[in-house]
Amino acid sequence: MSAVALLLSPLWLSWKNSFFRGASSWSRRLLLAVLALCFWSGTYWVIRRVLRYFETVYDLGPALAYQLLLIILLTFLSMLLFSNLVAALSTYFLARDLDLVHAAPVSADGFFFARLIQTTVNSSWMVLFFSLPIFAAYGAVFGGGWMLYFWVALILPLFLIIPAALGAVVTHLLVYFLPAKRIRDVLFFIGLIAFVVMYFLFRFSQPERLVQPEAFGNFMQFLSAMEAPSSPYLPSSWSAEILAGSLFQRQTEQGFFFALLSSYALFLPLAASWVSGAVYFDGWSKAQESRQGRRKLPWLDWLLDAATSFFPQTTRAIMIKDIKTFLRDTTQWSQLFLLLALIVVYLYNFKVLPLDRSPMPAGMLRTLVSFANLALAGFVLSAVAVRFAFPAISLEGKAFWILQSAPISLRALLWSKFWLNVVPLLALGELLVFLSNILLHVPSWMMTLSLITVCLTTLGIAAINVGVGALYPNFNYENAAEIPTSFGGAVSMILSVVFIALTVAIEAWPIYQLAMASLRPGRVLAPPVTLIAPSLLAVAILTAAVVTISLRLGINRLEKLKD
Amino acid sequence: MIELIHLTKRYGRLAAVDDLDLVVPAGEIFGFLGPNGAGKTTTIRVMMGILKATSGQVLLDGHDVVSAAQEAKAITGFIPDRPFIYEKLSGREFLEFVGKLHRVEGTRLNRRIAELLEQLELSAWQNELVESYSHGMKQRLVVCAALLHEPRILVVDEPMVGMDPRGARTLKDLFCALARSGTTIFLSTHSIGIAEEICHRIGIIQKGRLIACGAMDDIRRQASASAGNLEDVFLELTRTQAGTEPALE
Repeated sequence: MSAVALLLSPLWLSWKNSFFRGASSWSRRLLLAVLALCFWSGTYWVIRRVLRYFETVYDLGPALAYQLLLIILLTFLSMLLFSNLVAALSTYFLARDLDLVHAAPVSADGFFFARLIQTTVNSSWMVLFFSLPIFAAYGAVFGGGWMLYFWVALILPLFLIIPAALGAVVTHLLVYFLPAKRIRDVLFFIGLIAFVVMYFLFRFSQPERLVQPEAFGNFMQFLSAMEAPSSPYLPSSWSAEILAGSLFQRQTEQGFFFALLSSYALFLPLAASWVSGAVYFDGWSKAQESRQGRRKLPWLDWLLDAATSFFPQTTRAIMIKDIKTFLRDTTQWSQLFLLLALIVVYLYNFKVLPLDRSPMPAGMLRTLVSFANLALAGFVLSAVAVRFAFPAISLEGKAFWILQSAPISLRALLWSKFWLNVVPLLALGELLVFLSNILLHVPSWMMTLSLITVCLTTLGIAAINVGVGALYPNFNYENAAEIPTSFGGAVSMILSVVFIALTVAIEAWPIYQLAMASLRPGRVLAPPVTLIAPSLLAVAILTAAVVTISLRLGINRLEKLKD
Repeated sequence: MIELIHLTKRYGRLAAVDDLDLVVPAGEIFGFLGPNGAGKTTTIRVMMGILKATSGQVLLDGHDVVSAAQEAKAITGFIPDRPFIYEKLSGREFLEFVGKLHRVEGTRLNRRIAELLEQLELSAWQNELVESYSHGMKQRLVVCAALLHEPRILVVDEPMVGMDPRGARTLKDLFCALARSGTTIFLSTHSIGIAEEICHRIGIIQKGRLIACGAMDDIRRQASASAGNLEDVFLELTRTQAGTEPALE
């Protein structure tokens, strides 16, 4: 067995054993498979619908579809670059089996290439999973036949290995040159900033212009702009050129671009192995040295004391511990940058919404969009909550025994986690809804209704995530990021979405009535409270039930951990 | 034979290992003692090529652990203090993996696995996933893994932690038998009883420096303690040396 295959054998053996001998039940796996299939089919359906729409634009369809392909591949490439940086740091420098492997007579090249494959697989499987329905949709709409799938099969491994090799080189050099152990923080910042910048670039490049050809001077100008890649030096553009040859029957130099792609895909791993050979041992040795101490921040202690002074002493102690742990773990709080980017892009969408070009009356449309925004904000809150609130109990990790053996009730523990998560989620939800309503110029009754509704849904979403997080705790995680992607995380997300759907369904009828009132002459400026109040009361009752049941279930599960 | 030549490892200004000179001849069990944070684990990690020394050299049977890393590691077995085992592998799969890393394959590998599992009383558990093993069983599995390739040198960091008396006895007997057959054993431990019972020579490290080294009688002489057991001698030596010059530079 070659050294590379041998070094990879624990991975696939672990997968095999987890699959055939793991504890998770077949019904759970079936549910996950159904969820994955839904995502897969959903992606296929959406992309196919968009491409069909493009196809209806006479003469321009293929050019628009090509631009979309470029954007999709560029997005994949940026995601791959980012995830490979993080994955390479983990596989080469932080993995728990490194001592075992380095104490054995393993060749440096064998080790490097085995870890490169591991890095590529870890960081690329999701991109691979979502890219397949996209290529299938392109194939279904534009044809391309078996040649398309032949090219996809040839291109994808090359397209995935290039960012993986780049990620490995950058990680090796960063670990070698930067101070020991600060590397994880630094890398996270670099990756995060790169991701946010790319996200902004993508958003501000205004892909919606694809459906607004009037923005260009004349048709030929538009067509030529649409048929050329925006960044000709990127592997994503080379891949798009190759696929365009099969899809759109365009005269492209498929052979040339394939040679370009494969030469980079062969050269970069080789170059990366040379770099690794030169710097790996120094970097690895450095990466094990202890982290430097942190400065004490008296003002933070004072602030935390003041902010939590309303709570009982034990709840307060847990909250302060959680906040400090969160702030000191860069991998946790640096994700707030992503959240910031999300808010800006979210609000930007409302700013550019072409409501005035709609044939519907603007007043009514604004109310309806604002209502739809409640559901959307609820969805965003669910996604954020599953990332931050769901792991609340699991993050106690192997130190959970301290809380278990302390004289505090599990009820107090879960409630403290609940309130700790409600505060930031509420701030986020209210901010999103308030600012988007301001941009939409909604009437004051809609603003009031929205703010009260989002307050209630936040309480429900936080309770679902904290409760279900306690229902499916994972105290043996290796990386905190794996907690929300578990089965429990999926259950939490589904329940949150169902809860939002129920809330929206309860409020839909009165809002529809009030929105329609604006169409009638002598429109209602201040709607009767009697119309909204019952539905708000119903939502409040639903929220109270959701909060009580979720936390009760969570507490019961934690009680059973003692058995 | 193990040779540590002017070995130094610094973390910034802190010298975790400071100019360590040591020779352990073949067939000897060398006990490496010291208080917490004295530099024992750092020394071992440098010896195994897991950490890079700031200066100095480690030779394992004449092979430099940096410039001839593969040769040095091929003849050495390592039992770390907090061993990692792939939890989702069965005990047997784990041993097969480690054996192949050390180029032990085919019938020799199967024979060695069977022998060691039998010796360390793990045969009945070999096809169970490691995640279901107790702490002591995991320790014994790591011992099996370290001995698969019949190493000429065995480096051991805190071997008895979490082991029951029967497991500890088996291990001590095993080390003695290995030493008799010519294996050099470098044994870092907190347990003075174990060191006194099985080690031919003892070295005491404090603040990265070797403050005493030799057979029991030599150590006693160095501690100026004519009577008393190793625990008294250890406490005497580490007390005398404590608070002298700090290892910071």
